[in-house]
Amino acid sequence: MRRFSVLAMLVLGLAPLNAQAHAHLLQATPADGSVLTEAPASFMLLFNEPARLTALNIQRDDEAPQKIGGLAGAASARWVIAAPKLAPGGYTLSYRVLSEDSHIMSGSIKFRLREP
Amino acid sequence: MNPDLLSVVVRTLALAGVLQAAGAAFFVVLFGPWLLRSGQRIRRLGYQAALAGMALLAAQQWLRGARLADSYAGLVDPALQRLAWGGSGGQAAWLQLAGLAVIACGLARQGRAAAGVAAAGAAIAACAFALTGHTSEHAPRALLAPLLCVHLLVVAFWFGALLPLYLCIRHEARADAVALLRAFSGVAGWLVPAIGVAGLALAVMLIPAANTWRAPYGLLVLTKLGAFGLLLLLAAWNRWWAVPAMAAGDAPAAPRALRRSIAIEYLLLAAVLAVTALLTSFYSP
Repeated sequence: MRRFSVLAMLVLGLAPLNAQAHAHLLQATPADGSVLTEAPASFMLLFNEPARLTALNIQRDDEAPQKIGGLAGAASARWVIAAPKLAPGGYTLSYRVLSEDSHIMSGSIKFRLREP
Repeated sequence: MNPDLLSVVVRTLALAGVLQAAGAAFFVVLFGPWLLRSGQRIRRLGYQAALAGMALLAAQQWLRGARLADSYAGLVDPALQRLAWGGSGGQAAWLQLAGLAVIACGLARQGRAAAGVAAAGAAIAACAFALTGHTSEHAPRALLAPLLCVHLLVVAFWFGALLPLYLCIRHEARADAVALLRAFSGVAGWLVPAIGVAGLALAVMLIPAANTWRAPYGLLVLTKLGAFGLLLLLAAWNRWWAVPAMAAGDAPAAPRALRRSIAIEYLLLAAVLAVTALLTSFYSP
């Protein structure tokens, strides 16, 4: 019992040493949930640490996802990618990044483009 | 099946292959003198697990290309395959492949020296996981990496011993099998609690806020902890009821009951490996 109490104290004592993990999206343009009246010229993704953007797809409503190319390059915390021509509708921009620690992280941003 | 789902299945099997091969090597080096009739079968089990683990690890890395691309096109994309096999994840996979090759070489031969070689390969294969993921990049690495190594070495010892124990109960004379089970229980009683302590310490250090325990990452960690508690109960039942019943020799069904209990333990641990594959593939604290 005493052995386990000592171990429990040791484990709880580690809490202040909290480690941060993986690349997380901090900010995106267009922002998640935004409604636009003008088609964006580019997409911007800002992560908390440098990461390699390995896939970016845009899907309009129930249409098939469209791959956005030109992602090759070194790791970066801020990515700006030219947007394809967009028609009014609801969009999902989904991405995949490779973190510095080799984890693959994915996420998506939803926005709506209205008729001007 | 999408690449993410297939990747989790392959990662689960790769984890099982690596830990089974490493655990069989530890079992042979620790309990070799007791393995009078089952030694060759256990070495063959470890050898085959090492070869299967190598194939599954290669498949896992190949599939990373598809995960990076979010489509199977990534399997044939040279740039994504370079990323999949490079970085800390690639280094860990290459080191694990080397460790598994050493295990296979060690278990292909008889004798103490060969068993020692296999155990060294097992330590390499198990500890290579610490080269990638949270423990490779984030402070305080000096604490995270050793904790993960302890966690994985003992998991390999435990998970990898279950099938060898099953084979021993089946093929060794009852008195020899009981002596081996008692020796194993003696070692496991000291080592297995370290899985929970190291795992919990890692979770406490990696989980940044109390509400993360209610997020998918925290819930999967809690699932692992719950399964660990259940496994400890099963192991205690084996140690304090099933093994003494087998030793007494008055219950002819005792060896069968113990084999069944070990099989349930194996399936539960395999389920924990699937949860681990899911956790480490998709979620972040």
